[in-house]
Amino acid sequence: MLVLDGVSYRYPGYARQVLLDIDLTLGDGEIVGLVGPNEAGKSTLCLVLSGLAPASVGGVLAGTVTIDGETTAGLKSYELARLIGLVFQNPNTQRSGVTATVFEEVALGPVNLGLPVAETVERTRWAMAALRIEDLAERDPARLSGGQAQLVAIASILAMRPRHLVLDEPTAQLDPEGTRLVAEALRDLASTGTALLIAEHKTDVLARICQRVVAIDAGRIVLDAPAAEGFADSRLPAIGVEAPAVVRIGAALGELGVAMPEIAP
Amino acid sequence: MSGRSAWWRADVVLKPDEAAGPETAPARLSEADTAYLASLAPAAISRYQRLNPLTKATLATVTTLGAFVLGGYLGPLLLLVGIVLPGAIAAHLLRRVVRVAVLFSLPISISVALVSVFTRAGSTVLFNLGPFDATLEGVDFAAQIIVRLFTIAMALALFGLTTEPRAFVVDLERRGLSPRVAFAAAATLETIPLMVERALAIQAAQRARGLDTEGSLSARVRGVLPLVAPVILSSLTEVEERSLALEVRSFGRPGRRDLLWTLPDTGRERALRWLLVAALVVALVAPLAGVMPRLP
Amino acid sequence: MASKWFRVAVAVVVGAVTLVVGMAAAGSFDTTVDPNTGLVAGSNAFMFVLAVALLLAFIAYAGVEFATTRRLDSITSQFDTRTIVLIPIAIAINIVLGQTVGNALKIPLYLDSVGTILVGALAGPIPGALTGLLANLIWTFVLAGTPFGSAFAWPFAIVAAEIGLLAGVFGYYGFFRSRPNTSIPTLVGGVVVAGLILLGLAAYGVLPFYAKGGFTFFGTNPTDSLFTIIAYGIGIGLILALVALTIQLFVRRDLGVAFIVVAGAICGVISALISAPISAFVFGGVTGSGSDILVGAFQQAGSSLIEAVFQQGLLQDPIDKTIEFIVAFLLLQTLSRRFSARFPQGERAVGMVEG
Repeated sequence: MLVLDGVSYRYPGYARQVLLDIDLTLGDGEIVGLVGPNEAGKSTLCLVLSGLAPASVGGVLAGTVTIDGETTAGLKSYELARLIGLVFQNPNTQRSGVTATVFEEVALGPVNLGLPVAETVERTRWAMAALRIEDLAERDPARLSGGQAQLVAIASILAMRPRHLVLDEPTAQLDPEGTRLVAEALRDLASTGTALLIAEHKTDVLARICQRVVAIDAGRIVLDAPAAEGFADSRLPAIGVEAPAVVRIGAALGELGVAMPEIAP
Repeated sequence: MSGRSAWWRADVVLKPDEAAGPETAPARLSEADTAYLASLAPAAISRYQRLNPLTKATLATVTTLGAFVLGGYLGPLLLLVGIVLPGAIAAHLLRRVVRVAVLFSLPISISVALVSVFTRAGSTVLFNLGPFDATLEGVDFAAQIIVRLFTIAMALALFGLTTEPRAFVVDLERRGLSPRVAFAAAATLETIPLMVERALAIQAAQRARGLDTEGSLSARVRGVLPLVAPVILSSLTEVEERSLALEVRSFGRPGRRDLLWTLPDTGRERALRWLLVAALVVALVAPLAGVMPRLP
Repeated sequence: MASKWFRVAVAVVVGAVTLVVGMAAAGSFDTTVDPNTGLVAGSNAFMFVLAVALLLAFIAYAGVEFATTRRLDSITSQFDTRTIVLIPIAIAINIVLGQTVGNALKIPLYLDSVGTILVGALAGPIPGALTGLLANLIWTFVLAGTPFGSAFAWPFAIVAAEIGLLAGVFGYYGFFRSRPNTSIPTLVGGVVVAGLILLGLAAYGVLPFYAKGGFTFFGTNPTDSLFTIIAYGIGIGLILALVALTIQLFVRRDLGVAFIVVAGAICGVISALISAPISAFVFGGVTGSGSDILVGAFQQAGSSLIEAVFQQGLLQDPIDKTIEFIVAFLLLQTLSRRFSARFPQGERAVGMVEG
């Protein structure tokens, strides 16, 4: 269980508060989507959730961030890695650059945690199976497509078996094929029981897998609802977030007087 | 996958670790897994390459330092014939090593020859070229330097062509090098080719836009600068993202790591390394103590 | 900060004592001139003694810190993750620039320390020194078989370490800060002070080495005319560079230029003094770059090998280092303050981040 209580945050050297009085709870195994316009604070919220802000980035955090009852204040970044994982947008900068095969790349996190080799191998195999990338095991991490590289990045974090996984716009820099790959992988991942928080612009990706949606605007949470009603809420377009295609089509059909048929996900 | 096999042993250190979390029974490596991990280590195609990287590094270092310490002609040649050539032959790489060494040392040898032959003070003049006199002392000096440099180039080329840098870093970490330093070393080796690739890509793009990359000095300077700046700047701005991505993967955690694969080291190689170092020390100290005359 | 000054003082004393003792001991082995190399045998030991002195000074510094605080915080704090990520990139910058720009353009510039200077300024003296050291060692030992290797960089690792160390110290004292829009009187005052420092450096650190050469700029001997041409060329290049700098100085009214030029010149003189014996002993004064012609010319004009190498170095190194410091200065200005501020020494180096 991940709890943010009255959290406000500002970056070092800047006076402006980027996050204002955030209250958010993520249950175990919950899949939550995070939406909001640009510069609303999505990435900052991801950094705060994972503890990197302020542990690595500096800055001033007010309020408390609690993971399974344990507050993250004062924990070092390598101590947080075991509790919560964070996947970034750019697959290239997440590649460590020191490994020759995808297998070693995915195994890097567990190795850094100091786990025995047998444990590392088991976790690596599990992570790669969860994302269906076993056939990439022998490939050079530097020679993958954007989508494949992003999957490797997600697997690398997953292999550390964090209790919660935060993904900051994982498909932002990917082409449609890559987006499809990652979206499907996230769907499979959701079924394994790992708690996910996915920040995204592409609400279509979120609509099919999230149980809950949270919207953030100008540093404040403006919406926190179950997925079905959340994505249809009119506040989303009001703050500049495009509703999923399903919702838009449904609305257009509704205007024509046609009822929206049930579409199985 | 053929050729990678029995010469590699898996030294797996299993220890209970709270970090393993609430999972109960500690995992065990299956036969298949052990073989797979073995295959991740670099393949060795000759007995010389199978030597531990530290041994190969010691050979190169001792040869290099020895070439300086012994001086003259005989010392470097002895090292060349006694250490470098047998190694290169054992590695089936003689021709490549010689080619690389010549490529390396040729430009500087020419410079040395030109400068020393003509400008060193000396009494026996061999011939004149305009205002410059070529002296015997100059030729002698240049020849000694060239022999020394060629020996060093050969030793380093042999080391470079027979050692995988990643394997070297892994071996050093097994011996106690901090994981963070090991990372920095390994990352450097990856970054340089990547930067070059990026530079070539930018150069191609700029050439397509008509920027001059050949020609007079000022044209070349103007062509190089727009090329160099984006490569450097883009590499630097990535530092923040890269370091955050590493920290998320528990980089910087104090303590040792259990590496996936390591390279073996034998007692005989250890003895050889100490022997080489001792020989170098003797070669350094003996002439100073007057026990051994300076070699010609 | 009193304890930090104490540690630095202890380190300097230990280093100086080691240097003096070492030189005396080394000198006593063999002070005759070796007819083969034209060098005083004692100068062979100079590099070795200097390396040992620096190492002992560092150990003394760390030892005092450990004894008083049981930790090595002032050193390890310079090595956070960002520094570790930056170091390989900086090493790659060193090698790529040094190998391509330095060699391809065939001008007497090395340009192989920009990365070292960046790390020193942003992270601190120790990471800077380490970057320089590792860059030269990797350039030789690891890249030996590749087109980017240089078999002859490794002896200069100690010079590279010194450059990183100095860059760290200069960064700590804000020499890399851009100070635009300084008032004209302050600007002129700053330039005058910088000019005086440079003249002092030249008079006491550089020119004494030329007094023994026995050459004149305007001799009638044919080799002197070759030398005259070279000297004119360098002089013109210098003047052009100075003009460009002065323009930058007065258009942007950036006093930081004066600071960085002084930093570069000081670093250049010190680097020349350290690398000359290395170059003379290890390579016979020849390093495969454009500077060899200068060494030859000086020798022809009557200097011994070691004198010629000093004379060449003291001409080339200050220019090269100043240019490299300026490149690092410009890079730091181009990079966002957000980038620099998160490094251990970033705020001190680049100035405070605005809100």
